[in-house]
Amino acid sequence: MLRYAVKELVKRKKKYALNILVISLVVVLLITLTSLNTAYKDASKLPFESIHSSIIVQKNGNVAENTTGALVSCSLAPIKKDLISNIKSLDGVSEVSYGLSLWVFDEDTFKRVLGVNWDDSLGRKIKSKIYVGSLPQSDEKIIVEKTFAQENNIILNQKIIISGEAFIVAGLSETSGKDIVSSDIYANLKPVQEMAYNSKNLQDTETFDRSDINIIFVDAKQTKVADVSEELDSLLNKQDSFSGKTPTGQKIGSYSIYTPESFENQISSIFNISDKIVLLLTIVILIGTALILFKSMAHAITERKKEFGIMKAVGFTNKDLKKQLTLEILIQVIVGFLIGILISLMVLFALSGLTVSVNIPWELNPYPHFLASNPSSVNTIQTYPLPIQFNPQQVILPMLSILIISFLTIHILLKNIGKLKPMEVLKYE
Amino acid sequence: MNELITVKELSKTLGKVKAVNNISFSINNGELVAIQGHSGSGKSTLLSLLSGLEKQDEGEILFDNMKIGNMSEDDLALFRRKNVGIVFQSFNLIPTLNVVENIALPLFPTNINKKEMMAKAQKSAESVGLKDRLDHYPNELSGGEQQRVAIARALINDPKVLFADEPTGNLDSKTGKKILELLQSLNKEIGLTVVMVTHDDSIAKVCDRIIKLKDGGIQDE
Ligand SMILES: Nc1ncnc2c1ncn2[C@@H]1O[C@H](COP(=O)(O)OP(=O)(O)OP(=O)(O)O)[C@@H](O)[C@H]1O
Ligand SMILES: [Mg+2]
Repeated sequence: MLRYAVKELVKRKKKYALNILVISLVVVLLITLTSLNTAYKDASKLPFESIHSSIIVQKNGNVAENTTGALVSCSLAPIKKDLISNIKSLDGVSEVSYGLSLWVFDEDTFKRVLGVNWDDSLGRKIKSKIYVGSLPQSDEKIIVEKTFAQENNIILNQKIIISGEAFIVAGLSETSGKDIVSSDIYANLKPVQEMAYNSKNLQDTETFDRSDINIIFVDAKQTKVADVSEELDSLLNKQDSFSGKTPTGQKIGSYSIYTPESFENQISSIFNISDKIVLLLTIVILIGTALILFKSMAHAITERKKEFGIMKAVGFTNKDLKKQLTLEILIQVIVGFLIGILISLMVLFALSGLTVSVNIPWELNPYPHFLASNPSSVNTIQTYPLPIQFNPQQVILPMLSILIISFLTIHILLKNIGKLKPMEVLKYE
Repeated sequence: MNELITVKELSKTLGKVKAVNNISFSINNGELVAIQGHSGSGKSTLLSLLSGLEKQDEGEILFDNMKIGNMSEDDLALFRRKNVGIVFQSFNLIPTLNVVENIALPLFPTNINKKEMMAKAQKSAESVGLKDRLDHYPNELSGGEQQRVAIARALINDPKVLFADEPTGNLDSKTGKKILELLQSLNKEIGLTVVMVTHDDSIAKVCDRIIKLKDGGIQDE
């Protein structure tokens, strides 16, 4: 029977070429669609990958009345350092690092200052980006971000004043570009905390203790991220005494917990649409396929009515006919699939040259709204190579749908063949 | 002689026409029987009932003591595969299969292994004198050769009876005669029962018996 099936397909290949073409086209379209869709979704996780942190914790606070001296963004309200040990004791947490991110409105320039511990995971990350000079050994030494340094003509070993304190540039880093949390200036945590503590404007807006921080990075195992973020939420947001809202809609006093997933949800508004479009396209493609395959198979079967009559006359049962037809269609599906997957791989390879732009939410990289233009060091839009890849699972949907379409078609058409009386088709020449 | 087929009060209505009307007769093992009659007298209809291609409306057909009228459609298909060979006026070969494959077609749905299948098909081809055209396709054969393929296909399962509906109708008289001689020799040499519809009186004459039909009934024997 296999031999007959193969011969039928080979001898009448023109007729079956359309089926195979349609099948491989569907495979290519569906695989490309789903690959693109997941690639764009995966792209939203890329900024997190570059910061090597699973979860970011920030607190929502008040907006300063005026913009002088050192301030904190309303999405980066002060957090008590005691929280760190609580977070560390949560199940699944592997490392916790933290910093203090300030906006400093000096007369000459606006600066973003981040105070860090150089030996925790955040500090090590920044350390690895220093390309000139050395690590700040003392509190008055700082690292300046490359773009900021260029725009303000800052050079190594130069003395600069930040919020009235003098610092010396110990090194330059190249941190902007791909990171969620980037800053113009990186300093030891301690002097930044002092700066915040001594800022009258900041203390008028929030209450700041000498040891306060305002951003926490919680590392967790990939599989534990969801659990840990839930634990964090119940640890941090269990009190419901929030009052008022920040300009971006968060409750004042509440904690924002960003995971790659939540981040994805934030930036996926563009991609949600594409999700719907993908679904719609998939349905349209499958319906189109069903129609084309049904028509073409029905046509092939009608044309072979006489052959089926002969087969029945020589003793094929309806079940035998079904087997024969199924075999023929199965071969078409397999060949169509192989061709489709091959073409898909080539298409995906071609698409891997694309880039994707990810718009990073303001809360994760805050910059004063009222400053007319963001300096280039504040990249709210990041560009990455599109992380497109072939996932064997993507074959399952087209495979299942085509098989279902095919077998449904056979089932429907067989009803007609079943009724076929050999005498009626064989009587006349 | 032992009866192979017994027909009792058989009737079949097609549309509004009583194509076969209350017929009774029997056919013995090893007989060569001709069915004759005017066009539209019900010859093809009768043959399709005897061979299990159609079911009767009334009456009964006993084939080797099996009541084939009561069988399900699938059982009838298996019955045809095992017991009867059928040859039509048009040769009804599958164009995408070559000669051996066409001959082996009735074996495709069985579990027989490929080697045995080909051996059987070759033997059957030999018995109709088609030894050296095995890998040709139907469109490369003459009409007579195509009808030989059809006969070889009908013989592959060693049937108890061969039904032939105007097997020479599409052939010139010389080729037709050869086909007839072939059927005759199969009847004589291997004792195959042959039931054949024919218009040709000279053909009918060489048969053991003639069943004459008129308006669905038997005229005389
Ligand atoms: N499908 C059908 N529907 C209605 N009537 C039919 C059908 N098939 C055959 N008939 C009628 O049944 C009668 C017998 O037909 P059948 O084909 O058996 O005749 P036949 O003796 O074989 O004729 P011929 O010598 O022309 O082949 C005819 O009157 C024919 O018109
Ligand atoms: Mg007829």
